[in-house]
Amino acid sequence: MSLAWRIARRELRGGLRGFWVFLACLALGVAAIAAIGTVRGAIEAGLTEQGAVILGGDAEVQLTYRFAEPEERAFFESLGDVSELVDFRSMLATGEERALTQVKGVDDMYPLYGAVQLTPDMPLAEALAGRDGFAGAAVDPVLLSRLGLDVGDRVKLGVKEFIVMAALERMPDSAGAGFSLGPPTLVASAALQDAGLLTPGTLFETEYRIRTPEALDLEAAKAQAEAALEGTGFRWRDRRNGAPGISRFVERLSAFLVLVGLTGLAVGGVGVSAAVRAYLAGKTEVIATLRSLGASGGLVFRVYLLQVGVLAVLGIAMGLVLGGLLPLAFGPLIEASLPVPVDLALRLRPLAEAALYGALAAALFTLWPLGQSEHIRAAALFRDAQSGVKGWPRPVWIVVCGLILAALVGSAALLSGLVMLTLWAAGGIMAAFVLLVLAAMGVRVLARWLARRLRGFKTLRFALGAVGGPGREAQAVVVSLGLGLSVLAAVGQIDWNLRNAIAGDLPEIAPSYFIVDVQPDQLEPLVASLSARPSVSKIESAPMLRGVITKINDKPAMEVAPDHWVVRGDRGVTYADALPAGTDITAGKWWGEGYEGDPQISFAAEEAEELGLKLGDTLNVNVLGRDITATITSFREVNFSTGGLGFVLSMNAAALRGAPHTHIATIYAEEADEGAILRDMAKTYPNITAIRVRDAIDRVSEVLQGIAAAITYGALSTLVTGGIVLIGTAAAGEKARVYEGAVLKTLGASRAAVLGNFALRSALLGLTAGGIALVTGITAGWGVMVFVMESDFTVAIGSALTIIAGGVLATLVTGLMFAWRPLATRPAQVLRASE
Amino acid sequence: MTDPVMRLKDLTLSLDGNAGVVEILKGISMEVSAGETLGLTGASGSGKSSLLMVMGGLERATSGLVSVLGQDLTPMGEDGLARFRRDHMGVVFQSFHLIPTMTALENVALPLELAGAEDAFARAEAELTAVGLASRGGHYPSQMSGGEQQRVALARAVVGRPEILLADEPTGNLDAATGEMVMDLLFDLRDRHGATLILVTHAPELAARCDRVVQLRDGQIMSDSLAMAAQ
Repeated sequence: MSLAWRIARRELRGGLRGFWVFLACLALGVAAIAAIGTVRGAIEAGLTEQGAVILGGDAEVQLTYRFAEPEERAFFESLGDVSELVDFRSMLATGEERALTQVKGVDDMYPLYGAVQLTPDMPLAEALAGRDGFAGAAVDPVLLSRLGLDVGDRVKLGVKEFIVMAALERMPDSAGAGFSLGPPTLVASAALQDAGLLTPGTLFETEYRIRTPEALDLEAAKAQAEAALEGTGFRWRDRRNGAPGISRFVERLSAFLVLVGLTGLAVGGVGVSAAVRAYLAGKTEVIATLRSLGASGGLVFRVYLLQVGVLAVLGIAMGLVLGGLLPLAFGPLIEASLPVPVDLALRLRPLAEAALYGALAAALFTLWPLGQSEHIRAAALFRDAQSGVKGWPRPVWIVVCGLILAALVGSAALLSGLVMLTLWAAGGIMAAFVLLVLAAMGVRVLARWLARRLRGFKTLRFALGAVGGPGREAQAVVVSLGLGLSVLAAVGQIDWNLRNAIAGDLPEIAPSYFIVDVQPDQLEPLVASLSARPSVSKIESAPMLRGVITKINDKPAMEVAPDHWVVRGDRGVTYADALPAGTDITAGKWWGEGYEGDPQISFAAEEAEELGLKLGDTLNVNVLGRDITATITSFREVNFSTGGLGFVLSMNAAALRGAPHTHIATIYAEEADEGAILRDMAKTYPNITAIRVRDAIDRVSEVLQGIAAAITYGALSTLVTGGIVLIGTAAAGEKARVYEGAVLKTLGASRAAVLGNFALRSALLGLTAGGIALVTGITAGWGVMVFVMESDFTVAIGSALTIIAGGVLATLVTGLMFAWRPLATRPAQVLRASE
Repeated sequence: MTDPVMRLKDLTLSLDGNAGVVEILKGISMEVSAGETLGLTGASGSGKSSLLMVMGGLERATSGLVSVLGQDLTPMGEDGLARFRRDHMGVVFQSFHLIPTMTALENVALPLELAGAEDAFARAEAELTAVGLASRGGHYPSQMSGGEQQRVALARAVVGRPEILLADEPTGNLDAATGEMVMDLLFDLRDRHGATLILVTHAPELAARCDRVVQLRDGQIMSDSLAMAAQ
């Protein structure tokens, strides 16, 4: 056993008293990251294990606008049992009332996996068969209540009447369906044939779910499908990734939450560092004695490194136990609140990841004070024994600290997969950290300066003097609380601005309705009737088809830009002959009116830049199963944020005019007339679907609210760590305050004056932490809104004031928690003890 | 004879320590006259510092009477005692007990500020000059030597011109030369301001400088030079 370890062990016999802040900060930071990782692992495992159920089959081929041709169907059947599902948006109507719904037309084979839950409980076939001569429908309970419907009532889809046979409680494949604006209605697809909804050009998708033999190689099947269906614009999914949208979302959200968790660890690091510093200050005499007996600085460093190492291992272990077990303890709650199946279990990877972050953070925040301990000399025995560690550590420790920091950021970037976001976040945290340290120093200087000038205000001057005087309280409080509040302030600013952008600004310029599936012969009379209404101020319309960009310059689009949303599915494609009014061409030239030559494309300028497209590039766009090769001849400004019509792809009219298609229209009308417009429109044109923009915004806001809540919880865990650091700092300062209180009382200060002094200095520090947090939070919020969300930014005053008030309140509460002893203790007890 | 500034009668003090209740002072009765310099001596644990604490209202007597400047301290609350000290007493401790977060000047000005004096800092500066530390007003206690800290503490004790100065082994933490310098200063300040000085000390040479010496043993008065002179 080495000498350092022997001495360290003897020192540790003193117990862990005074180390609860160290352990709590490290354990909490590690626990938060471990818990996030465990839940993420559970979701991913659930998605993998239940992949077939979520997808609705082992494999799925999706077609846009059309049903499979007989030979395509034969190919699907060669792979296994096939279920056909047709999926589209429509209006569910009863009497004068109508509401948007996502219609799912299914065959007898549906569902291939899992079961549909209905109320009243009945077989799906019985529900869809209907009764009294009407085809049956199972309708989402939300929709039933919105339309005031009961089981047994009749509803209309298009021109056909259905009977509501049951409430549709749960579909096994609902998680795989992704985001939809309308609640679902389940009907038999055979019953849709005469509903007038699946006419040529109507927007619908067909999904062919295949139950394959277990031994079938899905990769090989996918390759076969690609060969057999090449150029048809099909999309393949299989159980290996049944819900790619959800997987991607979970991956990103959890990576983001891990970054929030790392901020928590940075906040905890302040507490860890302060605890080590306080411990070493208490050990100055011991260290000086060791030095006087011949111990080298290196030996002293190793002795305390070993002690801190043991504590770090303990803290990390506590964090892993907490972070691993908490999700399991709250298993039923987590399962109930997530729309996807989860498989909660202890998994090595998230725990190892959390342990790695914990170990690196502990090393980063303890090496500095440990390095400083090398400077303690034997002379400290004779004077200044309580002053603790000071000065700069040796250069080698500064370099090591830098390397550890790089390792921490590097591993976070690597493990989260979000390199840029991690680097930005790490840069943000470091900038906030430096800013807070500088602010703490600045506040001390300012407090000292003010204390010398505010001689008429004694309580304020005492408080300022205490803030500005020697000691590390100001720095610990401002940095730890400030960092926690910074995260919360940034989340608050982003959340408010996002809500504002979606719910506040948009409706002022956004249309009342999006109308889809307007047949070419319906467009003119529809526009005419709407224009006749005084409440309608504007109608815009455009022909619309759906198309998939399959190739860019002859290379598969998914290889050129696999992550870009434009190539990740089918997009709306429009065509025009003459340049539509208000179009802003940023580069190239619009094809002339009456152009009949080779297909040309005008592409959205910003998206083109993101994809690296240039004028003259060729795109293969699959529309209705047919690949059209077209050349990009111009770029246009397209603003998606106004809610108006915006198409990434616009082609010359001759290229698409012959294809069956419908029109999309936007109606700008007064809110009071919106209901009447919908009723009149639906009566005359039962096939068209109207999406009320306000409802869509509400739906998007709901989803955003959930995300904001998850991030706020993450930020709150950071604040809890900040709170622990605060309590630790206040507890560490209690002895000094007891002493100070005793001296003040000896000199004639009343208890109220002593309390006022303590409260005021706490409030001053809280105010500083809150103020700096606001600056960093607003800067981060501005950066995210302007550069990431490409939206406007306004300072959220309410959130800002809450942060400042929170800072003051937090320091006041923790400060006053430890004010009782200084107030209650009689001066003689304290002064005698320190004689 | 002048009126006594301090009158103690049947004074007892018991403290509840780890080893149970300990009787520290056992029936002390004495009077201190205005302007007197009184030395309290005795072995360690004899109760001299505790007696000083009770005299200053820093410790509450278990029983008996403590009357200072005609006011009974025993019924006074904590804040009342604090106000009384602020207006009438100055205290010097062996460990200086300066507030570490305040500069020397701020420490000296503190009692005046607590008393609401508008010229607190001007008077504090004058007092620091009087103890030879005019140039160290902006320094924190941690930046000063023990002797300097004790001089700051002396300045703080006398800056309010108290009627009574209490000093608890003020040279106990200082080397001989510095201790002597501090004691010269203490007696000089007392002479200048004419306060009553009650001094706890181990050092016979210091006690010898006092008008009167009371020796304690085991919580009781063993000898009182004043009584002996009267005999």
